[in-house]
Formats: sequence, structure tokens, C-alpha cells
Amino acid sequence: MRQMALSLAPAPAPTLRNFVHGRNAELMSLLSALANGARAERFVYIWGVRGCGKTHLLRAMGAAFAEHNVATAVFTGGELQVDIPQCEVILADDVDQLTESDQERLFNVYNKQRDGGGVLIAAGAVPPARLELRNDLVTRLGWGLVYQVHTLSDEEKMAAMIEHARARGFSLNREVIDYLLKRQARDLPGLLGMLDALDRYSLESKRAVTIPLVRELLSEPPAEG
Amino acid sequence: MDSFWTHCLRHFQSAIPAQQFKTWIQPLNAEFDGKTVHIAAPNRFVLEWVRDKYLGDIQRLSSEYLDKNVGINMTLATRQVQPPSPAAQSSTAPAKPRDREKSRLNPLFTFDTFVTGKANQLARAAALQVTEHLGSAYNPLFVYGGVGLGKTHLIQAIGNAVRDRQPDAKIRYIHAEQYVSDVVRAYQHKAFDGFKKYYHSLDLLLIDDIQFFSRKNRTQEEFFYLFNALTEAHRQVIITCDTYPKEISGMEDRLVSRFGWGLTVAIEPPELEMRVAILLKKGEMERMDLPEDVAFFIANHIQSNVRELEGALKRILAYARFTNAPITVELAREALKDLLAVQTRQISLENIQKCVADYYKIKVSEMYSKKRSRTIARPRQMAMALAKELTSMSLPDIGEGFGGRDHTTVLHACRKINELRASNTDINRDFDSLLQTLRG
Repeated sequence: MRQMALSLAPAPAPTLRNFVHGRNAELMSLLSALANGARAERFVYIWGVRGCGKTHLLRAMGAAFAEHNVATAVFTGGELQVDIPQCEVILADDVDQLTESDQERLFNVYNKQRDGGGVLIAAGAVPPARLELRNDLVTRLGWGLVYQVHTLSDEEKMAAMIEHARARGFSLNREVIDYLLKRQARDLPGLLGMLDALDRYSLESKRAVTIPLVRELLSEPPAEG
Repeated sequence: MDSFWTHCLRHFQSAIPAQQFKTWIQPLNAEFDGKTVHIAAPNRFVLEWVRDKYLGDIQRLSSEYLDKNVGINMTLATRQVQPPSPAAQSSTAPAKPRDREKSRLNPLFTFDTFVTGKANQLARAAALQVTEHLGSAYNPLFVYGGVGLGKTHLIQAIGNAVRDRQPDAKIRYIHAEQYVSDVVRAYQHKAFDGFKKYYHSLDLLLIDDIQFFSRKNRTQEEFFYLFNALTEAHRQVIITCDTYPKEISGMEDRLVSRFGWGLTVAIEPPELEMRVAILLKKGEMERMDLPEDVAFFIANHIQSNVRELEGALKRILAYARFTNAPITVELAREALKDLLAVQTRQISLENIQKCVADYYKIKVSEMYSKKRSRTIARPRQMAMALAKELTSMSLPDIGEGFGGRDHTTVLHACRKINELRASNTDINRDFDSLLQTLRG
């Protein structure tokens, strides 16, 4: 009989520390400085392909600011609340998907943050110049520091997977990682999601995370021999 | 107290870089109760930073200025709630804090920091005229031009200059959308009397981006009365817009014709030399030594608007600080690499196959054919390696996209290309140039 795993192990919360830097060291140093109170530049726009870690970084920043009791508001999924709270920090995700009225709100938020000494960290899929939003918002987003979030190399993804597994309390051997990297979509959220599924499956079946277990989860026939 | 604090602000404004002034000193509020100067900081970072870095200076200035050794007490400001009406605002800014906040002027937008060139010299001259002859030279002054060219800076410079000349003048800068919100709020709270009383009492109204009044009829009506009341009383109205008055769509004719009563001036995009001048000025304000060739490099690559120009400069300064390296053209090129070679498209497998096939002058269909001759197989391997590099697709999916090949074939292709790149300069060059083409 299969043991049903209790949902006791949520995925590890995104932090700046559990983000594998890869080629993003400069960005990470800027974000850490911001989280620690530096305000030399208060407007940051990050962009990159799906799965490169933008949402992780925004959520990590939200957690870091909360730790320092800095009032922070987060807008995700292209939705902005009607009443924009007076927060020192505003984090806006998926700005490339903002509706017309949300663009207007973000425009006002930007101006408010600029005049009131606040911080705005925004993320989108494309660099400011390619955003199909109202022009006065686009130029404002490009006015601060703009960084591309670079995706990780296979080696860096490997490091991220090992770290993720460690945070979930299981060890991951190289063969399993190789197996996943060769057979699965190689975007990091997909890979980490696969580890979460593996963790759960291994708890339910009371077996260690090995290639046969992975094959079983993926409903693949075992290798011959 | 105002005068002591103003004295402090002046000191810091000239003693520390503008950005630091803006970040640490400007948000402070100070009060003196006869014994102690109470300084309120907006958050604990600012508080700790100011205590560490600037408290000594403030102490010294206070004993010099107030002629006794007064105590300094630093506290956290209580958070301000959104004020209910435009007339009741919080106070956070320097000089005369309350007035400044009411006017909503940004003290950094001055004529001194406004770089002039062919693109904006007429607008600047008109602005100076208006400052000197408020309400009588050109009323309204209508400034138009594209986004990020400095319209807001210019009209706020007028506001700040008028403030310096006439400290009692009632000035208000407002973005058109904010004005629309005020009209809506007045509606909701049935508070049009208070609304009118406030706006009609202004000596100088600076209204930004008037095109946002488009199709907002009630706002246009209110503004029509306001405009008439102010101009008849020789109070100054200054308007910005993204286009020439007659080109604004969804605007009542009576307003459009009034916009043309005074002087209409354009701000054009800055030419190369002016872009360089803007960058050098910015560098100077940030107390960074920006070499002229670097300014030319940035100005040559970024031509659209001033904000993008400033964003690029910030990125270079941040990179120089991060790498602790001097600012050179090489460093600028490296810092702006992402910005200049913007990769926006999600690159598809089809894209890669077509691009590689074109490059090696083979048919795209040969990418998925069974042929194994080297003239076909090598480009195919190249395309597979590029697909692994440029997409997040799984190796089995990549194999599938090349005529149902196994993932081990893809793996082999990637290894092969990697080996060849190390030993064969032609292959290496092909790979790099394809990579560049695909990234756009």
C-alpha cells in the first residue's frame, strides 16, 4: 500500500540566498544592497525569458523588505489593486501584460514613488524599449537601472537543483540530475517542479530518489538489462 | 527652525552628491523646540544612515548656526496617510517643506540642471520669459513634444524659479491624470466648492500631459472654467502635451483654441551633441568622471529620449562600481551589452533550423531528413547545439523536431559541435555568428 504524503513540505520560499546567481552577480549585488537599505537607485527593471527567475527575485525582495519592516506591496499577474497603498516599496511583476487602466495606475505609482522617495522594482518579459505599453510608462521603466536576468547554464541549473533538493530535505545524485536534464524541459521552474513531484512520490512510495523512481514517476518502462 | 534647516539643506546640497542628497537628506523633516532639533526620518534605514554619516555635520552646523550646543534627536516619522483633498498635504521636502509639498514641485528640476540645445532652446527662452513676467508674457505657455524629452523638467524649473522669486506665490504642479482623479473625487464627495476654491486660488498652475483629458468631458468642462478664471486674473497657466494643440484628439474645440492663445513651443528630440552634453551634466551631478568618448559612445547608441540616455548612464556607473574599474568605452560597451543587443524573441526551433539552413545553403527540409552526408549532418548538428543553447526545450523534444531523432543523437551533436569549436576556428566562427543572428 502506498503511503500518502502529508502536504507538510511546501516548496522552499524564494529568497535572495537560494537564487543561483549564474551570470547575474551584478544584479544580485544591487538587489541585496536595496534589500539592506541602500537607496542610491530606487528604480529597477528586470527582464528575461520565461523561467529565468524574475518572479523568484521579486518575491525574494518582498521577503527581504518584510524582514526589515519596510512597507511593501506586490502586484502580480498583471493586476494592480485599485487603491495603491502608500508603501515604500512597490514590486510589480509581469508588467508587459498590464491592461490599459493598470498601466495608468503603474504610471501614477511610478510618479508617486519617484516624488516620495520610494522604490519600484518591476519585471517584464522584454526590455523597456520593446514593451508594448504607453510610451510615458515605458520610458520611465527604462529610466532606472535595467538588468537582463540571464538564464542559467546546465551546470548552474544543476547547482540550483541540488540546493532545492537540499532545502526539501533529500539528496539528489548526479545521475538523476543528468537524467532530468537530458529528458525534461530545461527551464528552471519546470525542473524544480519536477523535483517537488519526485520528493512527494519518494515519500509516498518510501523509496529514495533514484533513476528507477524517476522513470516510474514519468511512467517510463525500466531500462533493459 | 526653517532657516536653520534650510541652512543645513544648503550645506548638504553642495557637500554631497545630488543622488545622496536626494536619498538621505531630502526626505528628512526637522523641528526645533528651543532645546532640541528633532529630525524625523521616513524609515529606519535612512535614520541609521543619517545617524552614522551625517549626524556629526548636523551637530556642528547646529552649534554654529544656533549659537549653542543644542541636542539632536532622531526619530522615525509616523507614516502619512493619503490626504483627502489636494489642499491638505503632508510635508517632507526641503526649503519650506509645506509649501514645497503643496506645490508638488521636485526641487531638482531647475534651469541649472536643464541642458539646453537646439532642440529645446526656444522652449527654454519662453520659459524664462514666463518666469520673469508671470501671467503677462505668454499665457498659457503650451509646451509639447515626445515622452522623455524634458517637458516636465522645464515646467517644474519655471515653478521652482517662481518660488525663489516670489516665495508667497501659490504654485501647483499636477499631472493631468491626477487632475482627472481630483475631479472624480470632488464628484464622489460632492466637494466641487472646495475643489474650485483651491484651484482658482493658484498663482501658477503647471499641468502636465494634458492629452489625458481626452474624452473626459466633465474634466474638460471644469478645466475650461479654471483656465478662464486664472487667465482673466492674469494668473499663469502652463501646459504640456505630447502633441500640438490642434492634433489632440477628444478635446473640446473651445479648449483647443484657448491653448493657442499664449505661446506654443516644441521640444524636439536632442541631437547628438546635446545628448553628449546631457550625459556630461548628469555625470557631473553624480560626481562621476565621465570621459567624453564614453558620453559619445552612449549618445551614439541611444538616440530616442533623455530617460533612456540616463538609464544607460546609470547602468554604466553601476557596472563600473561593481567591477571597480574606470569608465572607458570598453566598459560602457560591456555594461550596455544587453541593452544594445536586445534579445526579445523567444527563439523557436523552426527559427533556428531556417537560419542554419540558410547559412549553410541547404534546404530546411534536410534538417529532418534521414540523410547522413556530412554537408547535411554538420549543419543539422549545429542547429541541434544551437537549440540546446537558445531554448529550454528538452533534448527528446529537440530530437523530435529534427525528424523524430533520439535524445542521444542530440546529445552527441552537442558534444561534437563543442569539440569542433575547440579545434576548428571556422566552426567556432559559424557558431558564434549564428548565435548572434538568432539573438537578433
